[in-house]
Formats: sequence, C-alpha cells, structure tokens
Amino acid sequence: MALMSARHAPDLAVVTTGLTKEFGKRRVVDNLDLAIPRGSVCGFVGPNGAGKTTTIRMLLGLIRPTSGSGQILLGDLHHPASYLAGVGALIESPAFYPQLSGRDNLLALVRLGQLDPAKIDEVLERVGLADRADDRFSRYSLGMKQRLGIASALLPEPSLLVLDEPTNGLDPAGIVEMRSLIRSLADEGMTIFVSSHLLSEIEHICDHVVMIRSGRSVFQGSVAELHGMRTSELVIRTEEAGQLGNLAQLLSDRGLTVQIEESSGTVVVTDAAPLAGELNRAAFEAGIVIAHLAERERSLEEAYFALTGTHSGDVEAVGSLGEIQ
Amino acid sequence: MIVASFRSEWVKLKRPNLLVGTYVGLAIAASLFAVLVFAQAPATGGGGLPSLVQLAQPNGLIHGVNRAAVLLGVVAFGIAAAQIASEYSLGTLRQLLVRQPRRAVLLAGKFLAVLAFMLGAVIFASLIATVAAFVMAHARHVPTAAWTSSAGITDLTRALGDLLLATAGFTIFGLVVGLLFRSSVTAIIVGFAYLLPFEAVVTRIVPNTATWLPGQLLQAIATGGAEVAGFAHSLILSAVYVVIAGVVATVVFVRKDVTA
Repeated sequence: MALMSARHAPDLAVVTTGLTKEFGKRRVVDNLDLAIPRGSVCGFVGPNGAGKTTTIRMLLGLIRPTSGSGQILLGDLHHPASYLAGVGALIESPAFYPQLSGRDNLLALVRLGQLDPAKIDEVLERVGLADRADDRFSRYSLGMKQRLGIASALLPEPSLLVLDEPTNGLDPAGIVEMRSLIRSLADEGMTIFVSSHLLSEIEHICDHVVMIRSGRSVFQGSVAELHGMRTSELVIRTEEAGQLGNLAQLLSDRGLTVQIEESSGTVVVTDAAPLAGELNRAAFEAGIVIAHLAERERSLEEAYFALTGTHSGDVEAVGSLGEIQ
Repeated sequence: MIVASFRSEWVKLKRPNLLVGTYVGLAIAASLFAVLVFAQAPATGGGGLPSLVQLAQPNGLIHGVNRAAVLLGVVAFGIAAAQIASEYSLGTLRQLLVRQPRRAVLLAGKFLAVLAFMLGAVIFASLIATVAAFVMAHARHVPTAAWTSSAGITDLTRALGDLLLATAGFTIFGLVVGLLFRSSVTAIIVGFAYLLPFEAVVTRIVPNTATWLPGQLLQAIATGGAEVAGFAHSLILSAVYVVIAGVVATVVFVRKDVTA
C-alpha cells in the first residue's frame, strides 16, 4: 500500500511516518510507517521483541517516540490528548485494582474520562459480565479479566479500538465469542487494531495486516494480498532413499531452491510446480526413479516466516484453536 | 479535569478495607496515646510526662494527640507511597493515562485525593482521641473546664492545624517517594528507614541537623515547634522541600515513558 503523508489522511485511522523508538542505544521501533484504513480490522503481528507493544504504547501516548510523526483519528501523535478521547485500549494483560469490583474499576475510568456512567452497565452486558459486575476483580477468572479489559476499552464508544492479545486466557468458546464481538464492533464502523501472536486469529478476524520484524514493517496490506504471497512447492520422494542427495544436487544445479526433509524422506523444491514434468524427466535420465511427486501450497505461516525470517514461540502456526470457526 | 481525576481516585480510596482500616486504625492509635498519657500522668509532674495538673490546663487536651503525631505522619507517608506506587506495580497507570493523557492533571487530582483522604483520617483520629481524653480525664478526676474555654478551643484548633500541616507534608513526601521508586514495598521500606532510624541516628550524632532534615521539621510543625527547630523556620523550609519534591515528581511523571 502506498503510504500517505502523515497529514491529511481522512480515510486512515492511524498513519505514521518514520516512527522510531530507541531505548538507550537499542532501536526497538525503526522507521515504522503505518497506514491503517478506517473501519478495518487490522492485525498486528510479529515475533517476540519485534516492537509490537512499544508501537502500541507510542500510539497511546504512553511512550514518547524518539522520532517520526503520525496522526491518529486526525489528531497529532505527539499530542495524545488530541485523539485519545476517541480511542479504547486493552494493553497487554488487563490491569485493574484487585480489591475493587469490576463495576467500580469501570467507574474509576468513567469518572476520569468524564464519560456517561450509564455506559458501565451497557459494556458489562456486551462482554457478558453483567451478573458478575459486583464481584471483586481479584476473584475473576483470566477470561473474565480479559473481558473486563475489553469492557473498559469500549467505555468511551471509541472510533479506534486497540487490542493487545485480546484472546489471551480465553477458552475456545471465549475465543469464538471474542471474534464475534470484534466482528460486530467492526460492523458498527469501529476501526480495530489488534495484535496477536496467533496467525489464525489474523486470518479469521482481520481484513488488513501489518507484520513487523525488528521494529520494521515487513508486510502491510490486506489479508487477501497476504494470501496472494503464498507460493507453491514440489515435494518429491525417490524410490530409493539413498538417491535423495543425488536428486537434490541435480535440482540445485538447475538453480532451484532445494531442501531435503529428512523426517519425511523427501526433497522440497520451491516455486517449481510448473517444472514438474521437466524435473521428472531429468531425474529419470539421471537414473533416479521418482516414487512420489506432488505440489504443496505454502501455508500462511510459512509465508509469514519467509517474510520475518524467523520461527518464534511468539508466532504459532494454525493449531487446534485455529480450526475453530 | 483535576476534579475528574480526584473523583476517580476517590473510587479507589473509599473501598472499605482501606477507608475503615485507615480511619479506625489511626483513631485507635491516637486514642491509645491519649489514654496512655492520662493513665501514666503523675500527680505533680516529672518523668517526661505531663502531670495531672498540666493536663488540666487549656492545652491539656492536645498532649496525647501531639505524641501520636509521628505515628500519624509515618502512616500517612506509607499509605500515600503505596497508593501511587501500586499504579505502576498493578499496571493500572496505563489505563488511567489513556483516559487522561494530561499527566500533570492526573497527578494533581491523585495528589489532592490522597491528601484529602489522609487529612480526613487525621481529623477523625483527633476527634476520637479527644473523646478518649475526656473519658480519661473523668476517670482520673482531671477538671476539663479549661479545655472548653476560649483559650482551650484556640489551643486545640491550633494543634489540629499544625498536625494537619505536618500530615500534608508527610503525605506529599510519600507520594513523591512512591512515584520515584514505582514499587510500594521499596518506597515504604526506604521511606520508613529514612524517617525513623536514619534521621534519629543523624540528629543524635549531629543535633544541629534537626534544623534542616525534613522528617524532623515535619515533627516540629506537628507539635507547634521544637527547641532545635522553631515553628516558622520548620514551616518555611518544609514548604521549600515540598515545592522541590512536587516539581521533581511532576517532571518525572510527565516525561517518563510508561513501560509498566
């Protein structure tokens, strides 16, 4: 996506140019250009230490950028008071006063933001906490704490909702509910910026994605564009396992990207699907008998890892939770 | 907007555990001092305690509360430090700053709310201690007519005012230390260690330091002035300390990144 100037971007909820944050000599966010369309559900993905939380904190005025500029809801990034009235946020784990009830925790925020107290019951109802609203926060389960965090973020009826790992601690049913809630909020025209370490989350709930690595953007665009970056590969098994090395050498000599997968006893060739017949013939002429040859499409996760160049515990492939619809 | 910050902080301060615990706890402590002063008072004086004759004077009512001044101050310091530091340790500060990004406004409202809470606790404790003093005076046959004379009321009002000024000082120092250390436990340990043993040892070794050490100055204010540090001197120098501490705290709070 072509980035617009940090100024005059009414169709963008968030736009930053050259956003940078250094802690001492360590550059955590490096010239990050964001452009998040209004009304989109934008996923924010990156491995541990990529700078996701620092970026979110800069957008919320909690951390002062070292350099760069930006606009959030047309307010100046360097003057958070100009836009935060229209922003709701759940930052990392939900943080509330443990001795206060869920309702009183929200009351403290309502009073601070000079919001309508009637919103408290409304948001509690929306996140399904109405019947536990008067219990102490310390007695809430992790999932209930997460829902209270979402409720607090909804208090100002935000135009932009920033959610940091909103499904953390939720059981599968809770994850489905959260997805449904996020979609319903997006349907009301709210822009949602959601960080997640689950790529499946991004696929299911987002229509726009920002991927970062080492504080830099490595992909920014629609989920459809991300899917378009998937490439295919050929998976080849030889009749005799001892010929795998010879086959790999043969294909490599043709300038192809080849990898031997010892566990499955196969050779994997990247972007070679159109060459399947030609490669089969070349192998046969070299005395290598191919027992299995199939095309395999790379998953979204593999596309991600190709972009970020890393595997990390922070980014999980589509697992059991990813299958929930 | 400061009012909004004040009212928000009050939601936290009025929770029963804290409100009842602080108000009743301080009232019991202050009353205990009053009871002990009357219970141990000799008939004619000596031994460092006011005599029954002295207790019958117009200012007799305030002896007990005066002796509780240090305790009240230290408790005020601890509660104030814990209130502000816990915002960092719980991570609630980030929630508050999203709703009120004008940090100086947020800080001012929180300071005023904690200050009002502690001053209310000291007024309540003083009232209960006064009742305890009347009861003990009756038990020990100390005439109380002078206490309710105009001179007695003036002395009582002045003593309460001094106590409130000192409590305000302790509270503000507690808030600043809590803000700088960002940890309730650390702030309270460091603060208590400084106010109690450290200053006591320093003033014992070098008595003149009592004229400029903040804890000693606040104690002098609480008791209407001390031999080493007069009331006016203590008040002025404490005010200077409070202003410096307030400016440092505000600058740190406004400029520091919130990573907790």
